Amino acid sequence: MRRATRNYLVFLRRCALIAFVGDKRYYLWMGVLTVFCLLGLNAYAKQLVHGLITTGMSDEVSWGVYIANFTFLVGVAAAAVMMVIPVYIYDNEELHDLVIFGELLAVAAILMCLAFVTVDLGRPDRFWHLIPGLGQLNFPASMLSWDVIVLNGYLLLNVHICGYLLYCRYRDRKPSKWFYIPFVFVAIGWAVSIHTVTAFLYVGLGGRPFWNSSIVGPRFLASAFTAGPALIILALQIIRRVTEYRITNKALLTLRSIVQVSMLINVFLLVNEVFKEFYSGNLHVASSKYLYLGLHGYHALVPWIWTAIVFNVVAMVLLVLPLSRSLKWLNLTCVLCIVGIWIEKGMGLVIPGFIPTPLGAMAEYRPSLNETLICLGIWAFGLLCYTVFLRMAVPILQGRLSQANEGAPAAGLGEAATNPALEA
Amino acid sequence: MDDRQRTDGRSSRIKASLVLRGLVIMFGALVVAFLLNSWGRQPPLPAIPLVDPAFLSTATNRRSYADLVRAKEDLSDFDCYACHEKGKPPTLRFDEHQNLIIPQEHSDIVMGHGEHGRNNNCFNCHNENNLELLQTRDGRALKFQDSPQLCGSCHGPTYEDWEAGAHGRISGYWNRQLGPIKRQDCVNCHNPHSPTFQGRKPAPGPHALHPLPPVPAGAETAP
Amino acid sequence: MLPPESSPNQAAPAPVPEMSRRSFLRSSAVLASGLAALAASLSPLRELGDYVSLERFMQKYYKELTPEDMAKVLKRIELEVERQYGIRPHVRDLKPMDGVEFVYALNLTRCIGCRKCVHACVAENNQSRNPEIQYIRVLRMPHGSLDIEKATHDYAPESVPEKGYFYMPVQCQQCRNPPCVKVCPVHATWQETDGITVIDYDWCIGCRYCEAACPYWARHFNFTQPSIPKDRLNPEMAYLGNRPRRQGVMEKCHFCIQRTRAGRYPACLEVCPAGARKFGNILDPASEVAYILRTKRVFIQLKEELGTSPRFFYYFDV
Repeated sequence: MRRATRNYLVFLRRCALIAFVGDKRYYLWMGVLTVFCLLGLNAYAKQLVHGLITTGMSDEVSWGVYIANFTFLVGVAAAAVMMVIPVYIYDNEELHDLVIFGELLAVAAILMCLAFVTVDLGRPDRFWHLIPGLGQLNFPASMLSWDVIVLNGYLLLNVHICGYLLYCRYRDRKPSKWFYIPFVFVAIGWAVSIHTVTAFLYVGLGGRPFWNSSIVGPRFLASAFTAGPALIILALQIIRRVTEYRITNKALLTLRSIVQVSMLINVFLLVNEVFKEFYSGNLHVASSKYLYLGLHGYHALVPWIWTAIVFNVVAMVLLVLPLSRSLKWLNLTCVLCIVGIWIEKGMGLVIPGFIPTPLGAMAEYRPSLNETLICLGIWAFGLLCYTVFLRMAVPILQGRLSQANEGAPAAGLGEAATNPALEA
Repeated sequence: MDDRQRTDGRSSRIKASLVLRGLVIMFGALVVAFLLNSWGRQPPLPAIPLVDPAFLSTATNRRSYADLVRAKEDLSDFDCYACHEKGKPPTLRFDEHQNLIIPQEHSDIVMGHGEHGRNNNCFNCHNENNLELLQTRDGRALKFQDSPQLCGSCHGPTYEDWEAGAHGRISGYWNRQLGPIKRQDCVNCHNPHSPTFQGRKPAPGPHALHPLPPVPAGAETAP
Repeated sequence: MLPPESSPNQAAPAPVPEMSRRSFLRSSAVLASGLAALAASLSPLRELGDYVSLERFMQKYYKELTPEDMAKVLKRIELEVERQYGIRPHVRDLKPMDGVEFVYALNLTRCIGCRKCVHACVAENNQSRNPEIQYIRVLRMPHGSLDIEKATHDYAPESVPEKGYFYMPVQCQQCRNPPCVKVCPVHATWQETDGITVIDYDWCIGCRYCEAACPYWARHFNFTQPSIPKDRLNPEMAYLGNRPRRQGVMEKCHFCIQRTRAGRYPACLEVCPAGARKFGNILDPASEVAYILRTKRVFIQLKEELGTSPRFFYYFDV
């Protein structure tokens, strides 16, 4: 028992220390991310002191970029694990390795989600009120209580799966199926649930007709499975570039087909939504009018949503054409997907739900400098986490960080990365 | 390891150490910047004037004659028989359009109790035989403090609502067992000679936390 | 899933360079400067001041407070208010009365849109003047339509009422099926037996889900520390009512709980010059609200189709 604990602690220590070792690109990247994290932390300190008045939110538009980013990232987290389906259900060998990268992305995305929700709270010191048993979690009536449970559960699930598989690989031991296969299948179902619960946060509000529609849930999932795998396609190419980890193009093309189908469904659902809102001409379409056409002379969101629609449609066309099988076009398409869906989920979903207010008043929302710095800080934090996870996972998967070479002197150049501080 | 690899390795180590030094400088600059707090400062909120306390007053629209009597105030202005003769009903004069001519002694009264000059006979309400009383439509004398019955003799539905508390002002305790109420009479709000309310200036409207920019000219305006 | 043994990534497992203890210390310059930047980034927290105290952090949920706990909490609130405003308030925890269900009725024939109710409420309930929080919003509606999209909020004519319009004040409707209570993740808002939906300001986490859920825009958030002029503080307070709130929590109309649970009319009703507002116990057939709901042919609940079943009825003279 003691030896097992010692082994595990040594593993953790080596993983932690390796995060500080890299080449100049690594230091530059981590340095820039750290700078943004600190800027975000500073902005959050100001927000704690003065309150949420440092943001652009108001009683009229009471949720802003924090919740918009949260919604987008829950989708990414859900989609990252959905890649698991082709591997286990269709037994696609090529994707085996990549599942870990996907799950690590899910962990980083969930950490970002939790951070975004925390910075949005008016009284984060009272977070313990949410803990069942200690506080008064309003389960099952409140969808937010469901969200608290499913997001944290999802985090633990993925941390367990990745941690277990990586540790087994580190110890060069075959992982026991019972310790991860059931969890993987639970994670697949759980991934759908986290995004559905997040969708239900909005759908369940009868007082906001823009959200109170059954298409919100399916649209969430369709857009998540477009943006998530698109992010992974880009991330895998970066991993391929900076490490020597071999990732085949076949894997990227399998992911492309997921993005292709999801984007087709996403655009189809958009057409459904627009038809339903505008054809019958009933009075509840004020928010949709504000979003797509402008209302009462206010049209701040109109250019954004049309840009998103153009991006999504162009991406859809590119995905359908064999042109996007070439990496250059695929990367462009992925960027269009990610940006288009980020705009759709943020400005296209969260903000118009508040405008006009339930009493018909107009309002506009613009994030403040502080709010933007906090968002950038949390994104930087997420990228930092993901980079650190990869920095640990890739060497383990390559066998270069394993129990076998514990205590071995730092020899050879391996990945063209030596710590200059190692110089005597 | 051959020479080229060694020099490559060395140059990449030097570049990495340059980056690290750059980071130290960057972090140092951040320390200074944070301590100077030169951005993201919370601007002071635009001043919102406090509301005029007159808008918080619960006083009624007017004070009736009965109120003055109850408060034992100086009623010399209301002593009818200081000018009129007891037992002699005052004469009313009308112009060629059947409009009542208000005598200059009562010039503060504006008759407006009914459109098109209806109800412009003072003695529809006042008692010509005893000017210190009112009279109902069937000629019964009525004290001033019982005036709601008179109003109710024409305004039946409103009077019913008033009795039940659905019309007019009631202040005090909804739970009558815990305290008294004060139900205002008709004339505490309505001027009996000209009952329609005058308009009044409204209290200031709301101030949004992030005010809307003005609508550009030519755009469809809010209703 | 792990790669099979013969994966190309397994070709030459050269050990990855790691940091020795010596090199770790060598790079301490970066670490030290990084930590200094971290500490400096948190420097605004020096002004945090009274944000949280151990006592307030540990305070139990309202429904779990014993009478002794509550007495301590009330005393603490009185001391805090005195320290901040220089006035010793009287804070009570009033319980609902038996056999009482409050209902509000508002006569749309009579409202003239003067907004006195808005400001009387602000004065009675110690709301922030800047940023401005107002529980009541008076809507100016054009004749003939209850379409909220046509409402004007910021009308400022020389004289009200204006021809061609009617006025509809909206505040918390104390719904029988309140969406805000359903969505609160921590039970910080709930409905009491007398029908008032209350908020425990010391339990609310400020997530603003209730504000998104309310169809009547009745819930308001303290985006910063509220500012109440000292000379306008109302010292008669209730725990679930008009005691001063702090930044980061929600608040809303609570039917002047500090008055109504003592048997009195709410402040908005008392100040209305037209007598348009009516309030009372619907379970008492002799109350004016029972009379109104019994005899008026038309009364309206706003957004009735949402199923919230408000306890706020708009009626007309017939």
